[in-house]
Amino acid sequence: MRFRRAAPDERLLTLLEEAAGNARVATETLRDLLADYPERRHLARELLKQEQDGDRITHDILHRLAQNGVRSPFPSSDVHALAGALDDIVDYAEQTADSLGLYGVEAPMEQAQELANVLAKAGAAVEIAVAALRDRSELGSRLVPIHQLENEGDRLSREAIASLFARGIDPMVVIRWKDIFESLEQAIDSCETAAHVLEGIALQAS
Amino acid sequence: MSQPNAPIRLAVIDADSGFVRVLAKRLETMSWQFRALEAPVPAHELIAMRLNALVLDVSLLGPQAWEYIERVGEGIPGLGLIVCTGRSTVAQRVRALRLGADDWITKPCHPEEVIARVEAVVRRRKRADIRTDRGPLVAGELEIRMDQFQAFVGGQNLDLTRREFELLQLLAEARGQVLQREEIYQRVWGYAMAHGDRSVDVFVRKLRQKLESGSPGWRYIHTHFGIGYRFQPESRDGAAPPPGPEAVEPAEALEAAEAAEAVEPERSTSTA
Repeated sequence: MRFRRAAPDERLLTLLEEAAGNARVATETLRDLLADYPERRHLARELLKQEQDGDRITHDILHRLAQNGVRSPFPSSDVHALAGALDDIVDYAEQTADSLGLYGVEAPMEQAQELANVLAKAGAAVEIAVAALRDRSELGSRLVPIHQLENEGDRLSREAIASLFARGIDPMVVIRWKDIFESLEQAIDSCETAAHVLEGIALQAS
Repeated sequence: MSQPNAPIRLAVIDADSGFVRVLAKRLETMSWQFRALEAPVPAHELIAMRLNALVLDVSLLGPQAWEYIERVGEGIPGLGLIVCTGRSTVAQRVRALRLGADDWITKPCHPEEVIARVEAVVRRRKRADIRTDRGPLVAGELEIRMDQFQAFVGGQNLDLTRREFELLQLLAEARGQVLQREEIYQRVWGYAMAHGDRSVDVFVRKLRQKLESGSPGWRYIHTHFGIGYRFQPESRDGAAPPPGPEAVEPAEALEAAEAAEAVEPERSTSTA
């Protein structure tokens, strides 16, 4: 069954763009935090604020959706899924930053810096794709880079975790960094989840 | 590099899981750092563990036991080596003690006795360390005091953390030699360095900041890109190092450093 196109609710689209923009900023903050860790560890506080902003925006999206008379330009379930995925990107980015402090990490790992770079690129690509919701004809082509970045993140993450299990490495290093690599990967996976939802919307629009 | 009140770092090489489990349980309550090894490991791995003492069941090694005791004793002079094994002859016990073992315990034995003997061996080692403690190591304007785990410039404390001090001590003792990141990590952190770990770089940066702040006219740590770091005090204005107690550094160590520098191919080097 094809979804009938409705006049887009401007406020809803703006909120989704705001959520995507917040996700992009959060991923860039994490990239900068890891690039120069621990010199710029204060960025973890900014990430916490971005995570709270993300929660507020998600709440506003769901609230808007529930309002009588608001007609979503695409199925409500897709709006729910997209808002959730965008929020997850920020949550996992913040969780990564939090783990650095929680585990008393003294110095970064190169693999974490590489993963954070991939995440920041994926965050920027998600923001561009969400902006394309206004004119859905371009949406499909905006999703390709997100899938490519997710594949790269997957590869980097697997190699990073495998490298921890070389002989003689401090078990505490293994425990800390395995968790951190995994939360970075989950943040990248959430970008792909957002891309999957957008893909569904693009297919319905075609 | 052990601090006076640091917890004892002990490894036990023993295949008797019951004995190891009981001992580990008791040590947990004492906050010792404990590692159980089911088979003998090479001496360089023991060095990396930065142990105070090793409890060894020689029955795991068979006829190689004597060579292993000798190698560990010679290779790690600061390590207390306690043999803990089944029935033995007087000749075997005497041979082990003469080759480098500090004590011999016959199984079955009570874990409390093992712990007490380890403590006694470590205590004796510490007393010997204090007696043979070297004076301060002087480099440029820097005075590195092993007895205080601290470095000073003109009597001013540089406020180094323990890790920063250990890093400085390692680099300064290898003066003139390029030390690879992996080697630095293994010697200071006590474990193999995970691929991609930036800990050494981060701590060198912190150390440089403190050295720069306390002694701005001198450069001490030089980067060898892709390899590691070299300690070599250099006056920024090209002045000769001040005369003084530099001779307190062991002469043979200096000679070794100079010889190493003479043969070390100088790759791209930056200084901070």
